[in-house]
Amino acid sequence: MEFKKKTLGNGLDLIGEVNRAAKSAAVGFFIKTGSRDETKQINGVSHFLEHMLFKGTEKLSAIEVNEAFDRTGAEFNAGTSWENTVYYAAVLPEYLEQVTKLWIELMRPALREEDFNLEKNVIKEEIAMYRDTPNFEVMDKCQSLYFEDHPCGNSVLGSVESVEGLTAEQMREYFTRRYAPNNIVFACAGNFDWDKICSVVESPCSQWQSQRAERKLGEAPGGKKKKRIEKANLVREHICLMSAGPSAQDEAKFAALLLGVIVGDSVGSRFYWELVDKALAEAAVTHCCPMDGVGVFYNNICCSPENVSAVLGIVEDIFQSLCESGIKEEELNKARNKVLSRLVLENELPMGRLSALGSNWIYLKQYRTIEDDIGAIKAVTVDDVNSLIKQLNLGESTQFSIGPAQSS
Amino acid sequence: MRYKRYEKMPEKVDKHILKNGMVLLGEPMESVESVAFGFMLPAGAARLPEGCCGASNIIADWIFRGAGSKNSRQLSDALDGLGLHRVSFVGGSHITIGAALEASNLTQSLELYADIILEPSLKEDQFELARQLAIDSVHALDDEPRQKVMLKLREQFYPPPLGRSTAGDIDELKVLTAGQTGQIVKSKFNLSQTIFTVAGKYDFNAVCRQMESLFPGSKTDAQQSAVFVQGKAGKYTHIDNEGAQVHIGLMTETVKPMDDDYYNARVAVSVLSGGMGARLFTEVREKRGLCYAIRARYHGLKEAAGIMCYAGTTPDKAQETLDVVIGEFERLGEGISEEEIDRAKVGLKSALILQSESSSSRAGAIGSDYYMLGRVRSLDEIKNKIEQITVDTILGFLRNNKFKEFTIVTIGPKQVTVK
Repeated sequence: MEFKKKTLGNGLDLIGEVNRAAKSAAVGFFIKTGSRDETKQINGVSHFLEHMLFKGTEKLSAIEVNEAFDRTGAEFNAGTSWENTVYYAAVLPEYLEQVTKLWIELMRPALREEDFNLEKNVIKEEIAMYRDTPNFEVMDKCQSLYFEDHPCGNSVLGSVESVEGLTAEQMREYFTRRYAPNNIVFACAGNFDWDKICSVVESPCSQWQSQRAERKLGEAPGGKKKKRIEKANLVREHICLMSAGPSAQDEAKFAALLLGVIVGDSVGSRFYWELVDKALAEAAVTHCCPMDGVGVFYNNICCSPENVSAVLGIVEDIFQSLCESGIKEEELNKARNKVLSRLVLENELPMGRLSALGSNWIYLKQYRTIEDDIGAIKAVTVDDVNSLIKQLNLGESTQFSIGPAQSS
Repeated sequence: MRYKRYEKMPEKVDKHILKNGMVLLGEPMESVESVAFGFMLPAGAARLPEGCCGASNIIADWIFRGAGSKNSRQLSDALDGLGLHRVSFVGGSHITIGAALEASNLTQSLELYADIILEPSLKEDQFELARQLAIDSVHALDDEPRQKVMLKLREQFYPPPLGRSTAGDIDELKVLTAGQTGQIVKSKFNLSQTIFTVAGKYDFNAVCRQMESLFPGSKTDAQQSAVFVQGKAGKYTHIDNEGAQVHIGLMTETVKPMDDDYYNARVAVSVLSGGMGARLFTEVREKRGLCYAIRARYHGLKEAAGIMCYAGTTPDKAQETLDVVIGEFERLGEGISEEEIDRAKVGLKSALILQSESSSSRAGAIGSDYYMLGRVRSLDEIKNKIEQITVDTILGFLRNNKFKEFTIVTIGPKQVTVK
């Protein structure tokens, strides 16, 4: 593996990790923008804009864009989160240049009014689809409750009302501010020729104008609060508990990742033995999510409405016992082995390397090899995890539930 | 643009049959440090006795609740200690259990899996928990209409018991006993009909030696656990749900994986729904904005096959969505351009190579090939077959295999009218 890097005059970072043994290559643009960079008035614009990039440029119609992608046989997509918008493609080496040129073109979209109006319907359908996916909706709503007025509380999709109210002009203005080269990372991983890919990227991307693209950080309010909504068509209780975790810039994120596995991996964790193994809940998992300047733990639980108080009581006991007695060495060993083998598996594919490459650059401006990450996971001690537990106060969580009408 | 030649793809498939009849298949992969393995146990949902719908789901959980000399906790700790990324899958024909892991831990992992298959503890108290979880997961499907609609669709499309729900039936789950379920494990975990697959970094000779000693015994004269197909189910089913969308599942018959026309069918489905430039995405989403999620895929069993389609849309657009989708199926036989076929072929071939970089995908693919076809196709063979498809072969295929009937299931606040 060989790391490569170049910065263009307008601030666009190009990074690459060459692996000649790979059969494919992956390429992506990582834009440092998401719903936390929106105001309430334009909530949902980052995600909507991600859709609009596929609607074409001055030269290409939406249908031509789709056909051009299909001609490369690429597995491609895009995703928007609270803080990043990522466009990526995994492709056979001989199509890399072609698919990269296409992405470059799309990064300067036409944002046509008629496409905007038609795509609004698709966005509203996506919002409706997630309203029928309670385990997603409960996380989204819990995040808003946890973060209150902090911009990380903005929903990625926005609401039907906010999307309805958006104008193409507002989107163009947002695009100009946020899709500036100094706010973007171009990354490539797998089997490719660095000089060749640079020659494809440099000339067109050097035309892009840099902008002041800042982000408001600030403390997350968090804290112990609770909310529940009812939906007549549901039969299970969907619960999300959120509490503070380390940020993406904090070294403690490796200890936090292991703590998340110890508490709520889908098998063999504390949640698993106390809740799932005993058939009190069919799902109970923890995710550690380090973000820019903030971080959170999500605990997602699904159970029958009758078991809710028993389940929440047990969760509280688990958190309390962690605070009082910490974790055990053998728990850490198991968690470490699981995380290490996942790391190896994910990184075998160029797509897995691309995602690690891009996010390390976005958050840390740093290249990390797989060995660096393996080393960091191996270095975490029981004391590291225990002091993190003391510092975090896992029990101090925001709780959001969605479930059927209560009979009381 | 014309399709370029890919580099030579791996041809080698390792094969060995144990004395007890278990087939071992392996695909070595260069430049990976991982290995993935799977045991395909012939105890899938369609092979269960009548009245036991959901038993496979219980079994896939129950056998991990203690095996050999280890109790549930010790077994789980041992698996986690090896860093296994566990995979359990209940399908119509098989329960597949396996894992992906760092290659150096394969030997120890296989020892644990031999215990799980040959000596599961199957304790009664653990049965109750596994059964409760299976019941809960069926209830939970009510809150996941996107998944439920596709399960229901398979149930309605395939003649029983082929489409039998892999999740289970609440009423049947409630009356299942540990004794009955244990008997199913005993009779269905038949080693002479089990397929073992491994892909990635491994030493095949060492694997064979170890498997031979872990799974001793001679071939039993067991009855072929074939699936007996009964009559066919209904055409349109609606399940009322006051959700935000109408979730539409639609399926129509096509040729089976071993049919000569299989690749014509695969490319035809790709023209319909291979990429974003394919017809369904273009007509339903890009031109009309009716849906966010719209896709069709080939779904093949050994006994029957279909093209399966999902679309989710708000109630007022449900009828138009269904009409446009069916219209596209019907229009397919009227003509396809060279350009469309080229795109579909490149997409299929690229997906094949991209998946070939993952040990887990390869372990799964060689097992399903062997079960369906009795042999493993090399990537070159698949690539060449795809290459041979032309506009004329597909149109000929579509003339001889018209989409006659559509099985349709909807879940949501509004029904559709089926013509």
